Amino acid sequence: MDKNIVNELKGIVGEEWVIEDIDRMLGYLVDETAELVRPPPSRDVVLVKPQATSEVSEILRLANKYRVPVFPRGGGTGLVGGCIPISGGIILSLERMDRIEIDRDNLMAVTEAGVTLGRLIEEADRAGLFFPAHPGDEGAQIGGLIACNAGGARAVRTGVMRNYVKGLEVVLPTGEVLDLGGKLIKNNTGYSLMHLFIGSEGTLGVITKAVIRLYPKFGATATLIIPFNDRKNAVKSVPKILQSGIIPLALEYVEKDLVEKSAKRLGLTWPCRDGKAFLLIILAEADEDTVYLQCEKIDSICKENGSLEPLIAESRREQESILKIRSEIYSALKPETVDILDVAVPPASVGELMDKIDEIERRYGTYIPVYGHVGDGNLHPHVMRKEGWSMEQYEKIKEEIYMAATELGGVITGEHGVGYIRRKYLRLSLSEEEIEVMRKLKKLFDPNNILNPGKVVP
Amino acid sequence: MGLHVIVPVKYVPDIEKVRFDVKSGRIDRSSAPGEINPFDLNALEAAVRIKEKLGGTVTAISMGPPQAESALRDALARGVDRAILLTDKRFAGADTLATSYTLACAIRKLGSFDLIICGEKTVDGDTGQVGPEIAEHLGIPHIAYVSEIREVSNDRILVVSDLGDGYYLVEMKLPGLIAVTKDINVPRLPTLRDKLRARKAIIEVWSADELVDVADVSRFGYVGSPTIVHRVFFPSERGRKAIIFRGVDAVDKLVEVLIEEGLLG
Repeated sequence: MDKNIVNELKGIVGEEWVIEDIDRMLGYLVDETAELVRPPPSRDVVLVKPQATSEVSEILRLANKYRVPVFPRGGGTGLVGGCIPISGGIILSLERMDRIEIDRDNLMAVTEAGVTLGRLIEEADRAGLFFPAHPGDEGAQIGGLIACNAGGARAVRTGVMRNYVKGLEVVLPTGEVLDLGGKLIKNNTGYSLMHLFIGSEGTLGVITKAVIRLYPKFGATATLIIPFNDRKNAVKSVPKILQSGIIPLALEYVEKDLVEKSAKRLGLTWPCRDGKAFLLIILAEADEDTVYLQCEKIDSICKENGSLEPLIAESRREQESILKIRSEIYSALKPETVDILDVAVPPASVGELMDKIDEIERRYGTYIPVYGHVGDGNLHPHVMRKEGWSMEQYEKIKEEIYMAATELGGVITGEHGVGYIRRKYLRLSLSEEEIEVMRKLKKLFDPNNILNPGKVVP
Repeated sequence: MGLHVIVPVKYVPDIEKVRFDVKSGRIDRSSAPGEINPFDLNALEAAVRIKEKLGGTVTAISMGPPQAESALRDALARGVDRAILLTDKRFAGADTLATSYTLACAIRKLGSFDLIICGEKTVDGDTGQVGPEIAEHLGIPHIAYVSEIREVSNDRILVVSDLGDGYYLVEMKLPGLIAVTKDINVPRLPTLRDKLRARKAIIEVWSADELVDVADVSRFGYVGSPTIVHRVFFPSERGRKAIIFRGVDAVDKLVEVLIEEGLLG
């Protein structure tokens, strides 16, 4: 890295917040992408930690002037190599921008990009409010969550990150600052530029601040674990639950060996002894009676489909422990995982997708664990390591799963995004014309291709 | 046959969520939902396992405000057969002595029993005194900090007690009382069916009047509590601080600062 540029960066954020020593930034070179598919990071990088939007703007102006790549990053919890510096350049960490204000009257949070998901949940709770989305790792930061339009388990009723963002402050690669939207529920003024940045994975602008919609705390919540002896019956129950008029916060599918493995790693116990396949349903309503009415209704639907006796967790501790076991399945499988996929299909086709994945599993004589957000039609099949297999064999399985999803009217990624590792498959989901429009947009916002180059757009 | 096991349970605020009023030194109970004391879940689980093994019945008993009924419903869903709520303004403001006295009187009123199982302590009081005090009032033997039940029969129990400095294998004749730690088991989740049944179950409510024949009413509640809270204070929270030390004397400077902050002796 050019010494003059480093000195100019120090002039912007202060000497302390520019790190050149590679040993002091090892954690900033990678994310949670599984090792075999993770791109090797460049070591010709400098880590910069700005504290204000004006500093981010100056950094981008400087990078644009000298044509230096900038790799913005949040909590580094991504799974597709989206923030990994694949060439020399500046790693831009927003972690110091962590101010947050809760506006109780408007049910909104104004947060800087570096606020973690855990902190947003906590601050909302302290104000008597609730942030429903739960994209897994609570160490993720708001900027990253928005840039990647994260999804997660609690998206059935209130949607993915995009549904919560009402305002955004974005710094363009050329240094201009855009203040988009605001504390507004309705806003129909001009093109919605804001939504262009949501899910742009740090390629169009750097998100520095956001207005996030919160919800009132629900009067009563419960988590149901519904055991089944086989997967088919579990999956068959899902559309019937959704058609019954109940919209849960979360509707997940997990299997016994996976949750037991995850629980063991966490030092917890999976509470259900019966069954092999489970639906996890998080209910949240204004009062306890409504929650119980819904429980009874769900129980009778599932019983018609052969479910065993459901368990119910009501205390915060017990509900959190179940969600944690579910959220950390990936961590438990990670050492043996080649890649975690996140294909999405129309919700009613989930069962068919699972059958197709089973068929691929049999044909290749390998193990493909499958679990996920069954209420959203979004599944996580894992491509697992197998003794003596080459990268080509793994890629083949991946392509087959992608094709299976696509044939059902689905897409290759429902929530993890494209990042680095999914670029080569983008054409399975997008037309050449769509990709061309994306290229033109990228060029418009980032004429010198300095912002997160080599990501998203093939 | 089988044992009659009694489990005293407490309705407590979710201690990780509850707010404290620093000025008055009191818990703001409206700031967090109430729940069954987490340690009592281990006691209930231990009791239900004994019932599953030897037969018998489990009775849960709680002293608290009318809302404590929800803790007892939870206990019923987790396998308890009978639930009694002691609620009366005359019970309010009780310290551990008055609480244990009241619970002991209620247990006496219940008639015969074989074993009382308490949680090690409550998350809001944190004293761990009520269990052993109940046993003293009743004149029965007791073992605290029980982390394992090795054997149990109709007239004796063999347990492991974790007293911190070692594990003690202790045998006790029944009737007696044990207070159990979190290590003893993993409480099960109730089934939906049991939960729905518990919602409709009858909770017996006893006031101080129900206990007059077995108790001295002046030993209940605030009047019967010799404990005086002199002062309540809160450890102050300190924010994180980052200092980067550079140069040859960096280590010396670091040590100096750590001593200054009282973090190094």
